[in-house]
Amino acid sequence: MTPLLEGRDLRYRHSEGLADAVAGASISVRGGEMVGVIGPNAAGKSTLARLCCGLLPADAGAVILQGAEMGRLSRRERARRVAFLPQNPPHDLSFTAREVALMGRAPHLGLWSLEGPHDLERANAALSELDALDLAERPVSQLSGGERQRVFLARAFAQEAALLVLDEPTAALDLAHQVLLVNALRRRARGGGGALLVLHDLALAGAACDRLLLMDRGRLVADGVPAEVLRPAILEPVYGTVIEVVPNPATGQPLVAPRISR
Amino acid sequence: MKRSAAARAALAVAVLLPVVAASAIVGLSTGAGALSLRDALAGREPDATVLFRLRVPRVLLAAEVGAALSVAGVALQALLRNPLADPFVFGLSGGAAIGTALVTVASGTVLGAAASSAASLLGVLPAQLAAVAGAMAAALLVFTLGRARGQLEPARALLVGVVFNSFASALVLSVEAVLRPDQMQAVSLWLAGALGYEAMPLLVGAALALVVPALVLVALAGRLNLLALGDEGAAALGVDVSRTRLLAFFAASAAVGIAVAFTGLVGFVGLIVPHAVRLLTGPDHRVVLPASALGGAAFLILADALARVLFRGLGAEPPVGAVTAIVGAPLFVLLMRSRR
Repeated sequence: MTPLLEGRDLRYRHSEGLADAVAGASISVRGGEMVGVIGPNAAGKSTLARLCCGLLPADAGAVILQGAEMGRLSRRERARRVAFLPQNPPHDLSFTAREVALMGRAPHLGLWSLEGPHDLERANAALSELDALDLAERPVSQLSGGERQRVFLARAFAQEAALLVLDEPTAALDLAHQVLLVNALRRRARGGGGALLVLHDLALAGAACDRLLLMDRGRLVADGVPAEVLRPAILEPVYGTVIEVVPNPATGQPLVAPRISR
Repeated sequence: MKRSAAARAALAVAVLLPVVAASAIVGLSTGAGALSLRDALAGREPDATVLFRLRVPRVLLAAEVGAALSVAGVALQALLRNPLADPFVFGLSGGAAIGTALVTVASGTVLGAAASSAASLLGVLPAQLAAVAGAMAAALLVFTLGRARGQLEPARALLVGVVFNSFASALVLSVEAVLRPDQMQAVSLWLAGALGYEAMPLLVGAALALVVPALVLVALAGRLNLLALGDEGAAALGVDVSRTRLLAFFAASAAVGIAVAFTGLVGFVGLIVPHAVRLLTGPDHRVVLPASALGGAAFLILADALARVLFRGLGAEPPVGAVTAIVGAPLFVLLMRSRR
């Protein structure tokens, strides 16, 4: 089966004289797969995510979406294949939550950008899936950080792209809503969708993802199932701190925490 | 937001069309002299001549200019992602002022003669032509200087526009030093924004010309909404951000250029009308754009009517640009304070 996303030897440098933000990374996401990108600050995770959505042009290498090279796809066609959630969605919007969710339908609309009943239905379903339907009529500027995050996630869901690239999707979410999001992503994966998630919470990454990519200074230093990647011997040199990993007594999944002495 | 965007736009138009009609009736029935609309419509003189030769063109002009400035204001606020952007933000006012002042100085020279002959071809005055040329040149300059790495940077463009406008007014002040008093008065009246009496064919032509940028902007409305998500957010939804900005910029500048050609610089319309409309309709540009066109038309018709009656006893009238600012400034503050 053609992967939803393939990145081949991707390189990107923000400006001349700086080190490569992404220095030769090859990745793939197949249908049904949830892949986590982890790594310390400035490892190049967000840059990699942007390269995969065509928001930044790779200096070298190729991004292939469902078998088609990024450069050959129109912008709208890209947006129908991959949906992107940025790290800091705008907070001062006077649009309502439903209007923002409807914006996810933009790549599917015609010249005058008018939504039909089907689009409204998709937006409402996405809001409901992220427990944000009761926020629908409220302006985004009046929502809390976590509520706003759910609305922007609903926008990405409403886009109905096979691949979701989400940069820190759980950052502002409480525990219950983190679980809600992971379950929703899992449901989509069962239907053939895929997700590339930039995550800082390693335990959550281990529990949610089928595969983890560990990045360090632009390079991919590990690519494997969570139990392989989430080991102190691999994590400690990258994060530069002492890290404990113990199995979750209930599920056996790795629980990861830094050791903090006091 | 239970209804679709198309339904809300239709509703806004249905509500605002009667408002425009009522404003037009006010505009047609106020003026220097008393006028009976019934007599005029029955063809009785002199009322008929006053109505059809003077007031109808005047009201039509006010409607066109008000609509053009308001639509341009909406577009520029969206593409700069700044609610304080007005139609002249790209240095258009400064450019228009320089153009007018220079042609006034040059009248009688080769440059002035060339401008006169070019202008008479188009059926406008040399100063009008120079103002439009100056405004367009300035807009292009500011748009170009406001870019970084091939992308328009809203904050940079706004700053360049502000600086350019100050530079331009300094230049105009210097030029005014060499003008005769009567020339100087003409220039300052022009800069203040005054509605005159234009010929009907010219007005119809301008209305048709305004349809083009208006349609371009309405077609862009959905993409202007997405720009609120930020350049990256819009691009991730399939929007070609620089092309959208460029198209919206040219459409807005064309609308402003047409308005400037007729009336000079009428301030505040393009700022206050979009804000007032958004309070009623919400931020969706697919609704805000048509509603602002109608709201702007009504606002400028009424402001012009007010200008004509304000100093009626003195046998003079203030330029409509002064009235829009006198009415607009306090209204704007009120609107801002009433926002939830």
